[in-house]
Amino acid sequence: MSKKSRFRQWGHLAWSLALACAVVLTGCGSSETKNQAASQDSAQAAQKRTIKHELGETEITGEPKRVVALEFSFVDALWELGVTPVGIAHEKETDVEGLLGQKIEYTSVGTRQQPNLEVISTLKPDLIIGDLNRHKDIYKELQKIAPTIILKSRNSTYQENLSSFTTIGEALNKQKEAEQRLVKHKAVIDELKKNIPAGDSRTVMLGVFRADSLSAHGAKSFDGELLEMVGIKNAIQDAAEPTVKISLEQMVQWDPDVIFLVEADDTLLSEWKQNPLWNNITAVKNKEVYQVNRDLWTRYRGLKSAEKIVTEASEILYSKKK
Amino acid sequence: MMTMRRTNKRSLVQTCICLTVLLAIGLWLSLFTGVAAIPLQTVLKQWSLAEPSKELLIFQTIRLPRAVLGALIGANLAVAGALMQAITRNPLASPQVFGVNAGASLVVVLAILFLPSIGSANLIYFAFAGAILGGFTVLGFASSRGMTNLKIALVGMAVHLLLTSITKGLIIYNEHISDVMFWLSGSISGATWADVRMILPWSVLGLALAAGLAGSLSVFRLGEEVAMGLGQKIVVVRLLACAAIVILGGASVAVAGAVGFIGLMIPHIARKLVGTDYRAVIFVSAWGGAVLVTYSDVVARLISFPFESPVGIVTALLGTPFFLYLARKKGRELV
Repeated sequence: MSKKSRFRQWGHLAWSLALACAVVLTGCGSSETKNQAASQDSAQAAQKRTIKHELGETEITGEPKRVVALEFSFVDALWELGVTPVGIAHEKETDVEGLLGQKIEYTSVGTRQQPNLEVISTLKPDLIIGDLNRHKDIYKELQKIAPTIILKSRNSTYQENLSSFTTIGEALNKQKEAEQRLVKHKAVIDELKKNIPAGDSRTVMLGVFRADSLSAHGAKSFDGELLEMVGIKNAIQDAAEPTVKISLEQMVQWDPDVIFLVEADDTLLSEWKQNPLWNNITAVKNKEVYQVNRDLWTRYRGLKSAEKIVTEASEILYSKKK
Repeated sequence: MMTMRRTNKRSLVQTCICLTVLLAIGLWLSLFTGVAAIPLQTVLKQWSLAEPSKELLIFQTIRLPRAVLGALIGANLAVAGALMQAITRNPLASPQVFGVNAGASLVVVLAILFLPSIGSANLIYFAFAGAILGGFTVLGFASSRGMTNLKIALVGMAVHLLLTSITKGLIIYNEHISDVMFWLSGSISGATWADVRMILPWSVLGLALAAGLAGSLSVFRLGEEVAMGLGQKIVVVRLLACAAIVILGGASVAVAGAVGFIGLMIPHIARKLVGTDYRAVIFVSAWGGAVLVTYSDVVARLISFPFESPVGIVTALLGTPFFLYLARKKGRELV
């Protein structure tokens, strides 16, 4: 408890320093743009739109061009709608290339967990898109840098991610493009669904093995819900949260027929493998444990990743079968 | 003096019987609570079979070590807290003030960061080393030019803050290691016999040391001058007590993360039950800690059944009302 509050105090200090920088920087920039803004005032007033998001309403003028995205699914959405984000929060060097399938020019604005407000403000963005789970607490600070919308991505369902996509379309003033892309997405998913025979009773467990815990993606997770929608049953149906930590006992009891496994760390996995119970799991007995890509299955989210996940899942489950 | 000792003795016996019954029931509940239904008959019938069933395997390799480990770390943490409160004469002292948790956390995070290929079994030793490091850092600074209670508390807090801030910083800049925070928050849901084997010798050593020091600690509580006047070797007792705290606290943190509250409250409750003779307090604390962690771990499995909650949340939830009840009861007795 006390650890947390102490940490928060340091956090406050850091933020106030960052804010001070932000204030100075925006102060420098604003005098130049004032005249320009005045001349275009009437034209832009017509385009002033109020975007509803998870933490309230934000007024956005015109078509934002300099957008900072603090989650991968937002980067994907922007890219799909023809906007290259100027700033992206990410952890690994390869993240953005892996997500979009090609290299793009952008400025790194720190990690998703701890974006650097100073860097964001130097980019002079006209829109910032943050995640409800990670960036709720810095919403006010972000709002002071540029109009900010907070949407659901992390720990959110597939449907919630789709509605975040729609909201991004509104924020960019590209409702039509967004709608078209969603129609196309639905068509792609429906097409992929045809590869998946109805009535397969196998249950699938999506599990991320970490050093000390197995984090399972239930039917309410992004990938879990997506796969349920195309007819692939999840082994964990009644979890209140999208992801749950489960023990070996629970794993054995819920007994998945197939395991899609992400091995972030082999410590716990190798420990479990030594327990005779591991071989009692149907998926292990039938040799239906498959390694999948952690980035694609658990980190990226977004439309393109959803399409890839369904493709991979149906390939693993059906084309490899005799 | 004679009468007082007798009442203490009677209440000690009563308390021990109570705690033993409670612990037995708690262990029973712990062994038979979980997502898999395991009837007692299955366990008894299949115990000696060559090919055990799934149920028996769950019982033997998951439920049993978990129950044993819970009781063990409960005893460790409670006794560490009792020692801590005795040598600092501060009822709010706990192993955390000794830099034990913070040291263990930091060294584990460092190990994951710079030695990514080490297995979990080894990780536990790093945690233990870190606990010792944290503890002895505090000891080292606090003992220079005479150790006082205030100094221990201040140095302990400063070291705790420093180590914690380094850990947090490392986690912020290396997001992939944030996974380890689950372990740090305290849980015994993944207990194995390996964990039990790892901490058992340390627990025995620490508890024996605590029991050996108990007599001196009773005098210690009266104050430094009195203790010195009664012929106590203050420095030696204090050093040995600190070593026991580091061993008990460190071993527990190493396998279960930081399960809070036990070391703070159980000794308090023990003193209210059996008086201030530390030979009794340490003994009752060990039982009491085992009882509390065992029950907390059962409740942790039930709060959001079939999913698990961290046992640390439950220890706080269970402990607070218990503490309030005791405080009120004591108040009424005084009137």
